[in-house]
Amino acid sequence: MTDPRLFRLRSVFIERDRLAMLSHLEVAHTLERVVRRAGLPFAVSQGFSPHMKIAFGAALPVGIGSTCELFDLQMTRYIAPTKALAALQAASVPDLMVQECFYIEPSAKAASVAFPFSTYEVRFDAPVVAIDVPESITVVRKRKEKVLEVGQFLARPFEFDGDRATFTLEAKPTGSLRPDVLLEHCGIDAGVVSVTRIAQAENMQE
Amino acid sequence: MVQFESIWLQVSALVAKAERPSRYINHEWGSVYKPEADFRFCMIYPDTYELGQANQALRILVNAVNAREGMVAERGFLPAPDMCDALREAGLPLFSIESCAPLAAFDAIGITLPHELAATNVLEALDLGGLPLHADERAEDDPIVVAGGPCAFNPEPYAPFFDAINIGEGEESLPEGLEVIRRLRKAGASRREIWRALAKLDGWYAPSLYRWRDRDEAQRAGSWIEPLEDGLPTYIEKRLYKGFATSSAWEPCIVPFTEAVHDRLNVEVLRGCARGCRFCQAGMMYRPVRERSADNIVDSVLKGLAETGYDEVSLTSLSTTDHSQIAEILQRLNEACAGTGVRVSIPSQRLDSFGVDMASLVAGQKKGGLTFAPEAGTQRLRDVINKNVTEDDLFGAIDAAFSAGWRRCKLYFMIGLPTETDDDIKGIARLVQQAYDHARAVVPKEQRGSIQISASVALFVPKAQTPFQWDGQIPPDEALRRVNLLRHSVKYRAVSINWHDPKTSFVEAVMSRGGREVAALVESAWRRGARFDAWTECFDEDAWRSAADDLAFDVEGAAQTGYPTDYVMPWDHIGCGATTRWLARERQRAEEGATTPDCTFENCSACGVCMRLGADNELAKERVAGARASGDARADGVGRAGDSND
Repeated sequence: MTDPRLFRLRSVFIERDRLAMLSHLEVAHTLERVVRRAGLPFAVSQGFSPHMKIAFGAALPVGIGSTCELFDLQMTRYIAPTKALAALQAASVPDLMVQECFYIEPSAKAASVAFPFSTYEVRFDAPVVAIDVPESITVVRKRKEKVLEVGQFLARPFEFDGDRATFTLEAKPTGSLRPDVLLEHCGIDAGVVSVTRIAQAENMQE
Repeated sequence: MVQFESIWLQVSALVAKAERPSRYINHEWGSVYKPEADFRFCMIYPDTYELGQANQALRILVNAVNAREGMVAERGFLPAPDMCDALREAGLPLFSIESCAPLAAFDAIGITLPHELAATNVLEALDLGGLPLHADERAEDDPIVVAGGPCAFNPEPYAPFFDAINIGEGEESLPEGLEVIRRLRKAGASRREIWRALAKLDGWYAPSLYRWRDRDEAQRAGSWIEPLEDGLPTYIEKRLYKGFATSSAWEPCIVPFTEAVHDRLNVEVLRGCARGCRFCQAGMMYRPVRERSADNIVDSVLKGLAETGYDEVSLTSLSTTDHSQIAEILQRLNEACAGTGVRVSIPSQRLDSFGVDMASLVAGQKKGGLTFAPEAGTQRLRDVINKNVTEDDLFGAIDAAFSAGWRRCKLYFMIGLPTETDDDIKGIARLVQQAYDHARAVVPKEQRGSIQISASVALFVPKAQTPFQWDGQIPPDEALRRVNLLRHSVKYRAVSINWHDPKTSFVEAVMSRGGREVAALVESAWRRGARFDAWTECFDEDAWRSAADDLAFDVEGAAQTGYPTDYVMPWDHIGCGATTRWLARERQRAEEGATTPDCTFENCSACGVCMRLGADNELAKERVAGARASGDARADGVGRAGDSND
């Protein structure tokens, strides 16, 4: 058999509306089933408990939608990306839909760590011009309090456009700041209607 | 009349804050929408999504109703406690999954009664749906509320809450009943007219049309119910789906987002079990035995895997390894699924009819734990319960399994079985220790430390429609004494005994054996806050106890009283096919320690099912008795569908 690492198919998918409420694990399970339904020639790990060779991008918090989620699938033979895309789309539900497929290098970084910069779009229920971003936020992780310096994570500040705003957060190897947690701690006059991840980038220049 | 419209906008704000939002969001792969339908039915599982979504009745019945033109079946589940409270606080009703429509907007509602601890959840669901709890308090345009499922075989504790109850298999009888409701509703019939029409349909019971007699009157009359009108049946025989064996084993199913129980492709390979264990309700209820063919099963599994994307398939039934073609089925499936990471599992393996070679095929390379169910510690008591398992069968299975690489084994036992003595309890300890010795003898010395043998002990709950239906449950103190006796009888430190204090056992026994008077107890317990009784952390014993005190309901008496076999039990007007006379004879044979053969392997024991229902066992091929009679074994983590009390 040809080395399956040679056929590393990256898929970009959206997660929207009520399916934004799925957890990372639920999305992962769902995508494995999408791949099986699509009938793609996925590679299976050898050993004690064989499983599909599939890897997922950085976790999206529950409640946050996205237009740019990723998963990488190792396949045992080449399938034209357009064909793979059509098969995946036919096996997906509309609100968790694959949008694009392409091959990546066997040596490419894993989708979960390759793109530390995430840009989010917030929709408010009324126009907003400015918000009060705190310097630090105290979160509880594993029953321990942790103080996060917002400046270390907020790679690009809020930009407003009517009832929408965008901002970029950087995930650090040591931890990250959730976009919904950041919004909760900002003094905002309007209510948050939705939060969507609209871009994942390797660095801020992209 | 409540409008049929989506309340998702209001509900979604609560869902976002709920524990596990994916329980409520719909849009799963395989969901069916029929907005054009003029008759809407909501099929409810009275517990949360992750427990109910895998329920076989829900899947089968939703499909059966959706197959009818102009009819739609949507799913409904009881929200988890946090969401029940949030909905109430927000003034929002229980909703269906597909349309997110209020329960009260449906034409009819069906609630499956899966086990004895779901009764308060039935009331919670009705109340949260904004419906009056009692059938006779519902308005003319309120939905018709029907029930079915295992607990319908003693429907009386639920009688006031349902307009009608479907006894037996619902593939055909549920859509038939709904057609009656649809036709009469269109014609402007009253609820009472609908009850009457349903009562005259085979397999349907409309309890409000019958007076409940008191005990003395019932014993004199030979029945607890008296029709309030002429022309009503006085005996309701279960419905049997005669097309089961030839129907496709692929039943379109919904693939949940959230991890549900039994979250895999479930393919029902056969229905019914004629082993005849005398404590087992399922064994009595689902007769006769009907096998689907190997071709049907293999094709259905492959189609189901392709359509759902599951990586595991379970071949479900009460006793899958009894299927006459099971070896062929497994071999064909293993070949077809090789290299795809798909696991084929079976929920209960009788190693006798099968052998460990095949068990290893089933579990693949992964050897978790095995579970055997000898049920009783001595041959005498195993004969009493007609388990037909010998010590040699068990030891043979242990030798084979531990030689083949298994290292963990759990043994299931019941205590409090009729005629049980202290010797039987000590017998459990002896049997488990001997099992350990056998395991030790075949495992290489350096691996012996990893051997784990444990015994799980459960309290016997007498079930309606079984030969032990007349027997009482032992009191909790006595149960505890016997468990302690067992604990003290085990001398090996390597053997562990698991016993969970069954606080809920009295509720199970009362629900299982009680009559219509139990309904008031259920309602009172629910009004005092009882719900989710099957969840250890939610069970509110005080609510049940104080409800019983208030009603002067003798809970202990209801659970523990034994009766002679000529005593008319409160479900005597409901027929599971097997005659009361046969059940009584089986009870007598139990007393004598006489076993009764399985009619799919040996002679007919004249239980009455085939004659009364005009049916017969349908086997794909002749079953070979061979080395039959051994313990059930279940491969741990591989599946446990169908192991209710057997």
